[in-house]
Amino acid sequence: MNAKTSKLRDLALSVVSILCLISLWLVLSSSRPDFFPTPQMTWERFIELIEYPVSKVSILGHIWASLRRVVIAFCYAVVLGISLGIAMGWNKKIRAAVEPIFESLRPIPPIAWIPLVILWFGVGEFPKILLVFIGSFIPIVLNTMTGVALVDPMYLSVSRVFKANTLQTMIHVVLPASIPAIFAGMKASLSSGWMVVVAAEMIASKSGVGFLITRGSESYDVALILCGMILIGIVGALLGVVLTLLERWLCPWTTKKEK
Amino acid sequence: MANEKPSSAVHNAAAVSESIRIENQNRAREKRQLFLISLTSVVICLLIWEIAVRTALINPKYLSAPSQVFQSFITKFYDPKPDGAILPVHFISSLYLALVGYFAAVIIGIPLGLVMGYSKVFYKLINPVFEIVRPIPPIAWIPLSVIWLGIGTTAKGFIIFLAAFVPCVINAYTGVHQTNPTLINVAKTCGANDWQIFTTVCIPSALPLTFTGLRVALGNSWSTLVAAELLSAKAGLGYMIQQGRSLVRPDIIIVGMLSIGITGALLSACLSRVEKKFVKGRNAR
Repeated sequence: MNAKTSKLRDLALSVVSILCLISLWLVLSSSRPDFFPTPQMTWERFIELIEYPVSKVSILGHIWASLRRVVIAFCYAVVLGISLGIAMGWNKKIRAAVEPIFESLRPIPPIAWIPLVILWFGVGEFPKILLVFIGSFIPIVLNTMTGVALVDPMYLSVSRVFKANTLQTMIHVVLPASIPAIFAGMKASLSSGWMVVVAAEMIASKSGVGFLITRGSESYDVALILCGMILIGIVGALLGVVLTLLERWLCPWTTKKEK
Repeated sequence: MANEKPSSAVHNAAAVSESIRIENQNRAREKRQLFLISLTSVVICLLIWEIAVRTALINPKYLSAPSQVFQSFITKFYDPKPDGAILPVHFISSLYLALVGYFAAVIIGIPLGLVMGYSKVFYKLINPVFEIVRPIPPIAWIPLSVIWLGIGTTAKGFIIFLAAFVPCVINAYTGVHQTNPTLINVAKTCGANDWQIFTTVCIPSALPLTFTGLRVALGNSWSTLVAAELLSAKAGLGYMIQQGRSLVRPDIIIVGMLSIGITGALLSACLSRVEKKFVKGRNAR
């Protein structure tokens, strides 16, 4: 009974909070609707967006363009990053050779690479994928490396006792033990990749969700900016959900441990 | 029997100290070796870079040699060409913006997060709004804030505020939320009131996570600042690299990127210093 009422209260509080947000939006926007469109105007603009493509690409096409860049770069980053991370975590010499270069590149935010990459490769598809790759590679490598280096030495001794060779130890001991850390890195890298793709599209692009909001600000179409922002938020949140589901499916033991 | 014992103990102690000495020696040797590997790898990378540019294997229009970058870095301290301001001016303009937005976010975000962690009602009230706004990257706010607030300090400060606000709130909240219930019960047993529990139990135990949030927020605000300056600015390091691109000056771009990287690393090092002073007994848990 008590649990039920507290659940009800929580629900009521959530509803109140969202209502507050919407009414705040209504109040703020009613004075200058051209400056800050009302929720209704934004919704209408969204319907219009579905019906009429922006710069010859439909709304799904824009989302797909951004997603494609992120997914391609993310796959490369996962494969290369996990391999490099395992090598660095496993072998001290490789780590010593690669880490200083890595540590000196790490503090440079991926967004700061945009001008240089545009200068090198222009504004096509490849430079954007490269930028997303830069943004998502580093968290994966660092997390994998830490995960591998922190594998319980006891496990390694056990695998040595059972006469496992290096490859077997890798596959059966090191990889499963470091997967929580790897997934944490993948989550960080996916959200950073999504941010980078939006930034890259805002600076130079003809398609994608980042382009939508830039187009909105160029044509003073504030409702379009809001639509773009909401879409970016939704897709970003969904990407995180997909990765969490993947983690639960691939390695069910990690989620159990958390609880 | 009784006579043998001390001598064997002495013998053992000598053997142990000998083996410790050898162990230490080996460790020191390994450390030296690893350092040498690091050094050679950096030197080789720089050499390849330098030679590739010097021999025009890479078009110098696209990449400057490390020596040229270093030279540009030095000249940029007194020469405002080609982007209109010397490096320190850009640097101070960026740093000022980043710190203004960051401190605003810390001052509002940390108390909000702490209170959210303590009061469930408050948490349920704020959290839905938070969850709606959170997935939108701060960079996506740039066009909106430019329309609302112009391209001045306020607009950029607002974006940096957004970037730093989220990690501050979340980490402060999680920190308080994860306070060991036993500690709270002990405080209750000793007759502490709610305010005393909050200030003397919850906040200290939330400090380590709060500092993690502060560090994440600092990194976020610094990289968001760069994005904001790339898109709309008249000064700052991001503006400098953007100018370097439109003038095809790779050396200026790289100098800008390095300055951004070094500053970011220094800021985070400063924060670690502060953290060490404030957070004691982090490993006590």
